[in-house]
Amino acid sequence: MTRSNPIRTAVAALAAGTLMSTAACGLGGSGAGDAKEAERTGKVAGGITFRTLQLKPTFTGYVQAVIDAFEKKYPEVKVNWEDVPGDGYNEKLVADAQAGALPDVVNLSTDSFQLLGDRGLLADVAKLDGDTAGQYVPGAWEQFKLPGKGDSVYAYPWYVTPEILTYNRELFERSGLDPAVPPTSVEQFFDYAEQIAARSGGQYSAFMADPKGRLPGDWQKMGVPLLSPAKDRFTFDTDKAVEWVERMKDLYAKGAMPKESLLKSDDINQLYGGGKLVFGPGSPGFVKDIKRNAPQVYAKTQVAGAVTGRLGHIGIYAQSLGIRKDTEHPDAAAEFAKWVTNGPNQVEFSRRATIYPSNAQGLADPFFSDRGDGKDAETLARAVGADQLKSAALDANTPVQWTNQVGDAVVREVQKAIKGEQDARTAVKKAEEAANRLLADAARP
Amino acid sequence: MTADSGLPHRTWWTPYLFLAPGLAMVLLFSLWPFVNTVILSFTDARILRGGGFVGLDNYRRAFADPDFWVATGNSVLYLLVVVPCLVLLPLALAVLVQARIPGIGFFRSAFYTPVIASAVVVGLIWQWVLRSDGLVNTVFRRLHLVSEPVPFLTDSTMLLVSAMIVTVWKGLGYYMVFYLAALGNVPASLHEAAAIDGAGPVRRFFSITVPQVKPMMLLVGTFSAISALRVFTEIYILGGESGGPGGGARTLPFLIRQVGLGFSGETGYASAVSILLFLLTLVFSLLGRRLTKGDET
Repeated sequence: MTRSNPIRTAVAALAAGTLMSTAACGLGGSGAGDAKEAERTGKVAGGITFRTLQLKPTFTGYVQAVIDAFEKKYPEVKVNWEDVPGDGYNEKLVADAQAGALPDVVNLSTDSFQLLGDRGLLADVAKLDGDTAGQYVPGAWEQFKLPGKGDSVYAYPWYVTPEILTYNRELFERSGLDPAVPPTSVEQFFDYAEQIAARSGGQYSAFMADPKGRLPGDWQKMGVPLLSPAKDRFTFDTDKAVEWVERMKDLYAKGAMPKESLLKSDDINQLYGGGKLVFGPGSPGFVKDIKRNAPQVYAKTQVAGAVTGRLGHIGIYAQSLGIRKDTEHPDAAAEFAKWVTNGPNQVEFSRRATIYPSNAQGLADPFFSDRGDGKDAETLARAVGADQLKSAALDANTPVQWTNQVGDAVVREVQKAIKGEQDARTAVKKAEEAANRLLADAARP
Repeated sequence: MTADSGLPHRTWWTPYLFLAPGLAMVLLFSLWPFVNTVILSFTDARILRGGGFVGLDNYRRAFADPDFWVATGNSVLYLLVVVPCLVLLPLALAVLVQARIPGIGFFRSAFYTPVIASAVVVGLIWQWVLRSDGLVNTVFRRLHLVSEPVPFLTDSTMLLVSAMIVTVWKGLGYYMVFYLAALGNVPASLHEAAAIDGAGPVRRFFSITVPQVKPMMLLVGTFSAISALRVFTEIYILGGESGGPGGGARTLPFLIRQVGLGFSGETGYASAVSILLFLLTLVFSLLGRRLTKGDET
């Protein structure tokens, strides 16, 4: 009898284990989003909740000062600020939306904005506050329209982080390239990478393969039409897209990219900071990180405008503040969101973090055009980023149809081709088929 | 003093009262989500959108989905390789460190260390060991064993093998402790009697130790089967979120996460794949039961 105990325990544990593993997947599937739209009353009063994404403790002082000033201006408003860590932020948003417990004013990223907006959980701020549109840089306000929902805008644009180009000047020269002539098209970027691979002797690589980070941006910059004019199916199966895959495969084989970067890109800072990578990440925030963590490489870091290819401009990716559709205090919520995103408050925020205002008046502040002596990478990055933002346009953005799942499906096929497990043409064809299948699934009522 | 002044009378509901908290937890956090998953698997629910009943569509889709078959194949392969290793190697290790000799405590602790290390740290260490410019490849190249780095992390099959190595390495110490407990219960007199009869250490291992710890081997087999079918972390940390190039190293839990989470997550389909994983586990559990039948009596 005693001998049989472990066996019985084993069977019971197996049953419990499988039950738990399956149960963990049981996500609530109830519908959401039929809330009644709040209407303005003209009275700015009441208690509102404001949720931000990981701003404590670094920016506690700044955010609290903005809140205090607002409460001083509108004494009948009480703002309850809650800050949520980055990990699980979106999951918490989904859970709150399902429970009908969204905050009144909430910081949204591009994908969370699309989900909540699409499900009818956000207030139409163009209706709440139409006159505000002109305050933001072109494209920023339009970014928060949704396909098929007319001129409605579902969030206030907040801060922006533009794309730039960063590279190691010394490695550039060692590869026989002129640091004063950075690449401007994807094709030229690949040519440079090929030359770097040929001259590096395996000591360093040109750039991170990371297809998920490069697509669909590279294709857009090469003039590949991602979607049909009606935007109801993907059309990227073109010679240009195939050419991109072939070049990537060739460069990967020649050692232009670290082998593991085909799958993971999380060690880019370490590689660039260690002088083993020529092109760094394309964000101004990165330049600041390198200055702190790898001062020697920072001194060799050169900044230029992003590769924009045939588009000639970058996209615009603004963080935003959404208003809960059925908020009890729409006046207070709208005024507060407008307050947080106004020129002076955004400029002040940008002085403390490596971000840019989506507010036109804010972006015109001399702080963003100062190039210093033209040698300090951080100052230069700020000026280059701000300059590019002035002409940023939505056609360079990842279209809403290119969801995370579509990106994953495309990347899986492309990875196989880069590894040489299938030819480039088949990869692009299969990627388009998979993407269209997902698009059709998503469109089902 | 009367009897009434002691403990209050036991009423019919007293046992249920004691059971209630535990029962409520099980109902709420295990049973209900399970039932919910079964229901969802027959719908086309998505995140934040309640789905309609679609019958067996999700199951049909899974059977026609090449990704599902790749993931199922990988999960089963994982189980078939990892379970025998985790049943036999920790036993061998336990026999080695069972001896009461000075300093053996150090080895016992050393073998147990991977168990308490966090999965992320373990993943990072192995990544550093296995990457194309990592420790193993550098040694191989210095010794002129290979001309090109071995693609431990960038080839689907090699990635799966690497993840298996990590799982086995991490499980060795854990199951070794199980076996140490079982070995402690083997009467020394049996070994003595066998030794007097002329049995050597190998013979004693197979004729005394193995039969005596067999129930524990079955328990370890079951535990390791559960973890093998649920493997996710090792592949995710070593091979990134795509699950190897082209997703070729994805296991079933990996696939479930990929299709079910995120803002475009298909809850209904992910639930159906979860139920299929449950059925697969059930099949292996029934097989295990069949194997153990003889020992239960």
